[in-house]
Amino acid sequence: MALVQGTGSDVAPTTASIGARLRRSLRNSRVYQGVLGVGVFFLIWYLLVDVFGVWRFAEMPKLVVGVKEWVSRDPVFGVSLFTAEYYKHIWASIFRVLVAFLAATFSGIAIGILMGWRRIFFGLTFPILEILRPIPILAWIPLAIILLPGRELPIIALTFLAAFFVTILNTLLGVRAIDKVYFRAAESLGFSQWQILWHVIVPGALPYIFVGLQIAMGACWFSLVAAEILSGSAGLGYKVWETYYYVQFPTMVSTMATLGFFGYISSALVRAAGNRLMRWRQELLAGI
Amino acid sequence: MMSKIGELSIRHAGKIYDPEGIHVVALDDVSLEIEAHEFCVVVGPSGCGKTTLLNAIAGFDQLTDGEISMDGVLLASPGKKLLPGPDRMVVFQQGALFPWKSVMWNVTCGPLKQGRMNSVEAVEKAAELLARVGLHGIEDQYPEALSGGQKRRVEIVRALMNDPTVLLLDEPFRALDALTKSVVQEHLLELFDFTPKTVFFITHDLEEAIFLADRVAVMTTRPGRIKKIVEVDIPRPRNYRVLTTDRFLEFKADLGEAIHEEAIQAFEAGERELA
Amino acid sequence: MNANARPDNNAGDAAAAGRRLTVSYRFVRWLKSLWSLNLLLGVLSLGTIVFIWEFAEPLGIPGIKYVPAPSKVIIAAADLLTAEQYWTGWGLSFQRIGFGFVLAQMVGIPLGLTMAISRFSFGTIFPVIEILRPIPPVAWIPISIVFWPTREQSVVFIVFLGAFWIVLLNTIGGASAIDRAFKRAALSLGSTPRDLFWKIILPATTPSIITGMAVGMGISWEMVVASEMIAGDTGLGYLLWQSFQIGNIAQVIVCMISIGMAGYFSSALIRALGGFATPWLRLH
Repeated sequence: MALVQGTGSDVAPTTASIGARLRRSLRNSRVYQGVLGVGVFFLIWYLLVDVFGVWRFAEMPKLVVGVKEWVSRDPVFGVSLFTAEYYKHIWASIFRVLVAFLAATFSGIAIGILMGWRRIFFGLTFPILEILRPIPILAWIPLAIILLPGRELPIIALTFLAAFFVTILNTLLGVRAIDKVYFRAAESLGFSQWQILWHVIVPGALPYIFVGLQIAMGACWFSLVAAEILSGSAGLGYKVWETYYYVQFPTMVSTMATLGFFGYISSALVRAAGNRLMRWRQELLAGI
Repeated sequence: MMSKIGELSIRHAGKIYDPEGIHVVALDDVSLEIEAHEFCVVVGPSGCGKTTLLNAIAGFDQLTDGEISMDGVLLASPGKKLLPGPDRMVVFQQGALFPWKSVMWNVTCGPLKQGRMNSVEAVEKAAELLARVGLHGIEDQYPEALSGGQKRRVEIVRALMNDPTVLLLDEPFRALDALTKSVVQEHLLELFDFTPKTVFFITHDLEEAIFLADRVAVMTTRPGRIKKIVEVDIPRPRNYRVLTTDRFLEFKADLGEAIHEEAIQAFEAGERELA
Repeated sequence: MNANARPDNNAGDAAAAGRRLTVSYRFVRWLKSLWSLNLLLGVLSLGTIVFIWEFAEPLGIPGIKYVPAPSKVIIAAADLLTAEQYWTGWGLSFQRIGFGFVLAQMVGIPLGLTMAISRFSFGTIFPVIEILRPIPPVAWIPISIVFWPTREQSVVFIVFLGAFWIVLLNTIGGASAIDRAFKRAALSLGSTPRDLFWKIILPATTPSIITGMAVGMGISWEMVVASEMIAGDTGLGYLLWQSFQIGNIAQVIVCMISIGMAGYFSSALIRALGGFATPWLRLH
């Protein structure tokens, strides 16, 4: 990662002692650095909030208390790794994200490919999309509540919307980015239109599509949390707000951490799925 | 059912581009009669229009003047749009093996999709042709894992698998280093001896042209016209030793003058366009 | 075989060809202006949508008929545009975006560059970033409210957070992708580390930074709206939510469009300004 080369790590140790060399390799080890960074972060948190409580930090949730609450079998505020309510909220959120993400993925990719493939379709759909896209997702909440029955659907719809636009855009870019020569080769080989779609367009656009899907996953979680806060009754986002409202700060910390955890896992899963589908890229990327 | 002979006839082909009102004459009255199973090479400086001519034969571009016929059948004229097809299969300059498919898929997809072979036949033929160009055991790899020379050979095999009437090659070895190039050229000639086809090959490399061709046509700088045509009667099979024979050097002297003139003009034209 | 071909004839040939093509040339050009077929299709689709929307109620189209028709929206817009609250809302929202966004750049760009240059800082800081980043900024709202003394500050913090991740990642990405050949060329030309930074690394990273800024601007608008709706008492987002609470949906739609336009133009502005900062890219 270093831009400036030759700053110590490239210099061959000649008469340096074993201790110095060990220290240097430790200093350069990624794992060591990671542990150091994260450790310092928690340390600062602990010192600022738990121990010293300077300024506004006195009001903040304490690290130790939060962690203790999270892992206790009989939590003060009723939510921990061992309570059912914790998992109820987790499932509520995950379910919504799952449904919304899958719906957005399939419809977004289909529409994006059609837009990239057929100019007429593009001409018909692009204007309305460009008008709707800049509107912040949350601004749709009122309309979603009006147009859709129940409580779940508006939340899922909002989550869907964020991922939908991003997926379409990235899919479109992906199709456009395919080198024209592949289309020519396919035509020379006598492929039908459907074969071109399936064997050139879809695989060719896949890299961009998956970048878009990772962004879409992040967008899903963002909209989900906001929607749950504004109109939910269960779910991690709703819970974060509830813990604020009822001043249950230790639980707030664990809920936020849980959100982060699932957000990370879901993005990682999308990325892994992408790598699996695009095994042919390993060689390409390995060459970089 | 008409039998494929592979005569390609280009008569008075013309192509004028018109991007935003600036007339660009890419091809001007180009005529070329290519016999069946002849290896014809068009050589000329970059931008002279040889790629335009190849694209017109392949069907990627339409002529604004003249006609192209194959085996007596009119293929293309300003009024008749020509579509690309496996009968005029192309080997592309920058390489067009589908990176997301294995070598075997790339090579066999043509005949399989057209229904000309079943999968068993296709795999057999593919393995045979690949072995002929010195590629063994790479069938299941992805193209990016191959070297430049290997990729070019795979692409040539892919083209041949479609049993084209005319094989079109668009400066296929341009990106290879000189050593790899000479090896791959020899493999191409071996294939050509093994399955004779009409070949239309374009390049800017005069040595390559003479080494490979039965006939070499020199094309002028834009607007592209055929300046000179020479029969190369060096006997086949040829190998790299041919490059230093007297006969070869005679051809090189003969054609070298013509092409050097064009090269200079192309160079100066490039300068003038920017200025 | 035209052995006497000389390129100087090109002009003559072209003129002759030009004369031959005048009629067909003009026809083709007219055809191409129809390839403002895109324009045509756009008008067609938008027109249809607006039409259906406007007449959803009398036509009895389910769902959409509950959404106020475009005509009502336009009336509501006229009302709103004369309301003081609307324009102060604009100002306040923009102000929050301004602060949050600029702060995000001021912290994110130097940090990103540092992390790209120093292996050690990257190794220590990046894992912390990766832990905090997946937590949606909106989830930070309660903590932000608790921590910051004023509402303004808590909103600005959320805006900051949203834009910060983006600009950081884009900066790191851009700075790491600089072709080593450039740095080597500079070093062999005798540049100092300071030169290297200001004359090579920074300009080469600028396009990525600008992309990060444009995307970050879009995110900032999302954040500002979210914060204002959830925890604000002024601003366009708050106005939107309030309009919803009092049941004035036409006004809600006006707010939606306003915010959308604001976001679009601020992103476009960033890209335009970015174009000035990277003149070498404008050759396209």
